[in-house]
Amino acid sequence: MFSRINDINRMFGTMDLLRDRLFGEPDGPFSYHRGQVPSLPKTNLVENSDHFEIQAEVPGLSKEDLEIKLQGNYLEISGTRSIDSPEGYRVHRQERSANSFSRSFTLPDDVDDERVEAVLKDGILYLTLAKSETAKPKQITIN
Amino acid sequence: MSNALTKTFDKKAENNQLKKVIPWVDIYENDDEILVHADMPGVKKEDVTVNVDNGTLAISGIRRMPDKGKAAWREFTDLEYVRKYAVPQSIEIERVEAQLKDGVLLIRLPKSETAKPRTVTIKAA
Repeated sequence: MFSRINDINRMFGTMDLLRDRLFGEPDGPFSYHRGQVPSLPKTNLVENSDHFEIQAEVPGLSKEDLEIKLQGNYLEISGTRSIDSPEGYRVHRQERSANSFSRSFTLPDDVDDERVEAVLKDGILYLTLAKSETAKPKQITIN
Repeated sequence: MSNALTKTFDKKAENNQLKKVIPWVDIYENDDEILVHADMPGVKKEDVTVNVDNGTLAISGIRRMPDKGKAAWREFTDLEYVRKYAVPQSIEIERVEAQLKDGVLLIRLPKSETAKPRTVTIKAA
């Protein structure tokens, strides 16, 4: 009897092993990339009282590879990544890929299209968009 | 002294809590060297470690995002990129070079002279 339970346990153990092999640990180092559309950069939108900041992961892109368009509170970031494999080398592994992407956002508030700042640093695009005057919070004094 | 020590330990403990993530890499090789290109967006030069020891190349890069304001959405945050590779023992450790460009870590691992392929000429008898 014991040996049978052992067998069952072992079987479940094997299944767990298989699951981990196939899908990785739920919180393991591969899980970060799971569910991501590979060609779309990950982004953050941070809101402050007077501006928004968009951050986007764009490793290997120079500023010439990126295009940013703003119309009202509609923002579009597009880019093209090229991978130039060095010549005369054998390729052992190629996980990074050339692609082009386009992501668009509707910002929660109107922004001042004259005061937009874009900085590319260490493979991350930081986009600072000042809110338009009407979108800023106003202090109301009680009479 | 003890304060500095605690600080070091605190920093270490803090780094251990960072989510570990595999960076995507490309690996190339020719007769002279091996090249490793790894995507590490947001990692600063001073937060990268490249270690070649006993046939293993270990790379690590810590990313800390500026954290101000409230996030409407957040798809990426602080993490540590980690990856290990077996490399031939014949790598000349003293000549290994690493460079960080636009969030991509570029490593150059030169092979030692003795490890390079050699054509053997047959002498006439």
